[in-house]
Amino acid sequence: MRYFFLSLMMIVVLPSIGVTGYRENFEQEFLTKTWSGEQVEENLCISCHSSDKMKPEFRSITDAWQASWHGQNNISCEHCHGGDPKDAKTSMSPQRGFVGTPRYQEVPDFCGKCHIGILSNFIESGHGKALRAARKAPNCVTCHGSHGIRKASIDIINEQLCSRCHSYERAKIMKQALFLTEKKIGQLETGLEELRREGIYPEADEKSLFSTQAEFRALFHTVDVDLVKDRTEEFTAKLDLIDRNIRATYRELRFRKNFSAFLMLAFTGMGIVIFLLSQSKED
Amino acid sequence: MLKKIRMWFEVRIGLDDLIKTKVLDYRIPKNINIFYTLGFIAMIAYAVQAVTGILLFIYYIPHPDHAFRSVQDIMTKVPYGWLFRQMHVVGSNLMITVAILHMITVFLMGNYKRPRELTWFGGALSLLFTITFGFSGYLLPWTQLSYWATTVVTSIPTALPVIGEPIAHILKGGDHVTASTLSRFFALHVAILPPLFLTLMGIHLFLINRIGISATPFGIVDEEKRPLTEYKRKIHPDGYPYYPSFFQKQMYMMMGYFAVMFFIITFFPTMFFPDEANTPADPFRTPSQIRPAWYLLAPYQLMKLIPNKFFGITLMAILAAIFLLWPFLDTYREKNVLKRPVLRGVFMFLLITWVVLLFWGRT
Repeated sequence: MRYFFLSLMMIVVLPSIGVTGYRENFEQEFLTKTWSGEQVEENLCISCHSSDKMKPEFRSITDAWQASWHGQNNISCEHCHGGDPKDAKTSMSPQRGFVGTPRYQEVPDFCGKCHIGILSNFIESGHGKALRAARKAPNCVTCHGSHGIRKASIDIINEQLCSRCHSYERAKIMKQALFLTEKKIGQLETGLEELRREGIYPEADEKSLFSTQAEFRALFHTVDVDLVKDRTEEFTAKLDLIDRNIRATYRELRFRKNFSAFLMLAFTGMGIVIFLLSQSKED
Repeated sequence: MLKKIRMWFEVRIGLDDLIKTKVLDYRIPKNINIFYTLGFIAMIAYAVQAVTGILLFIYYIPHPDHAFRSVQDIMTKVPYGWLFRQMHVVGSNLMITVAILHMITVFLMGNYKRPRELTWFGGALSLLFTITFGFSGYLLPWTQLSYWATTVVTSIPTALPVIGEPIAHILKGGDHVTASTLSRFFALHVAILPPLFLTLMGIHLFLINRIGISATPFGIVDEEKRPLTEYKRKIHPDGYPYYPSFFQKQMYMMMGYFAVMFFIITFFPTMFFPDEANTPADPFRTPSQIRPAWYLLAPYQLMKLIPNKFFGITLMAILAAIFLLWPFLDTYREKNVLKRPVLRGVFMFLLITWVVLLFWGRT
């Protein structure tokens, strides 16, 4: 039997060694490649912009995008700029919706294709009206940046940025009006993240927090302090509901821990009793 | 009334005789140790998986659009659904651990030796089935962890020339892990593997019962050194009765098994639920780290280390074959591993290699 098995091993191993180098691509890429690459067709915008042929200032765009909030959420080049990232010939064709880089005044409409609520509030704001009137005024990129856009936070309102155009005093009042609600949003985000780490997927609360936060931040773009103050209560009520849900989930987790601890102790106790019984029998 | 019911059964199935021969008069070797209970504990572990699995099956929906949501509903909405899922997930890992420990102790005590070759073969095959159970169940929650771990593992057969691609294709039901893969793995997990596994278990238990329980080789002269030319059931007339001495051992080990399970659920509830296990599968986003379950980490790491993947997969197949057919290869009659330094050395080397590869694969 052993000799039969040894012969069988030789038959299998020898051809294995003989075909060393078989499917080199597989060997090189196996377990190291980005597996999703199999399923996502190559994005021509990224491959071209990151190639050596591109000017250095354009080459940095892809790196900035990949690290950005948009990049992390799969918002790709064509979603903003149009065009077809799968076809080299029509990748920058206006027929395929390619719009390229918007002019300064067109930036709000460019971003507002997706951020609809924010656009309408911005247009009505002092910032928006000034921009329409072709006066010196900020557009979206002025505060948020473009390709390297980060997740929005209250820290965007700061003296260094605002005082480029006007005094910081009014912006400071707005920041104070936003502060408590933003702080609450931050706390809830942390709470939901911790719940995830506890093995809970709080999808409904995450969605609710996302929409409340988006609505609240859209309101800020009116740059109307009184309006923000008036509606803060409404947002606080929504956030309190999420807070209550998080607390209820923690209570449920505590119950689970206690319940399984009870079962653990019950089985341990029964095990000890049976063990002692068995020892006394043996004696 | 109770007496009547008892007599009703007695007339039909001979309960008294069954209890007398299989429990009260059944003798076990005097030098039997606690490790002999591991087979029974493995059976209990399988039973727990079956019961909790059926409860999960009631609420689980095997479709990519609903699988993750249905599992979350089990965890949050179904009364005590969290407990059954935790028991199933923790239990699956404990089950594999107990089965491995059972095989190791059987190996060290030489209880695979003739005439128990087929008993070993059935047990070893059951361990491979158990791992397949774990692997097929891994995909079902349709999380980032399960999706990408399955993507990697189902791609391994593609290293084989000619038959590799068709095997991977059959496993996945296409080129990628999709709804077809989920359906296939679900069918494998709940409909194909259980009857096969139960049949195998039936044969395993039948063989144990027919051949008789083997004594440990330590401290006694083993009568099985005689030539085996005819069937003779191994009995231990001077041994202890199965009930209550060994039965109690089994019972407190079973309590220990449940205590360990609930210890993990109480103090380490997320041990088998990393962040990726709480995120729905996203075929367009690869997690920074992809690795299969711990019981596949050693072969996975070995595959990564061997430059030629075909050679790697062939080596795996050979190691699996050696494991399955070991009693036919080891024909020395000496059962006591303490008297076989080479075998002991090889075993220690393999064990250490396995542990090193496992932890290496984790990093």
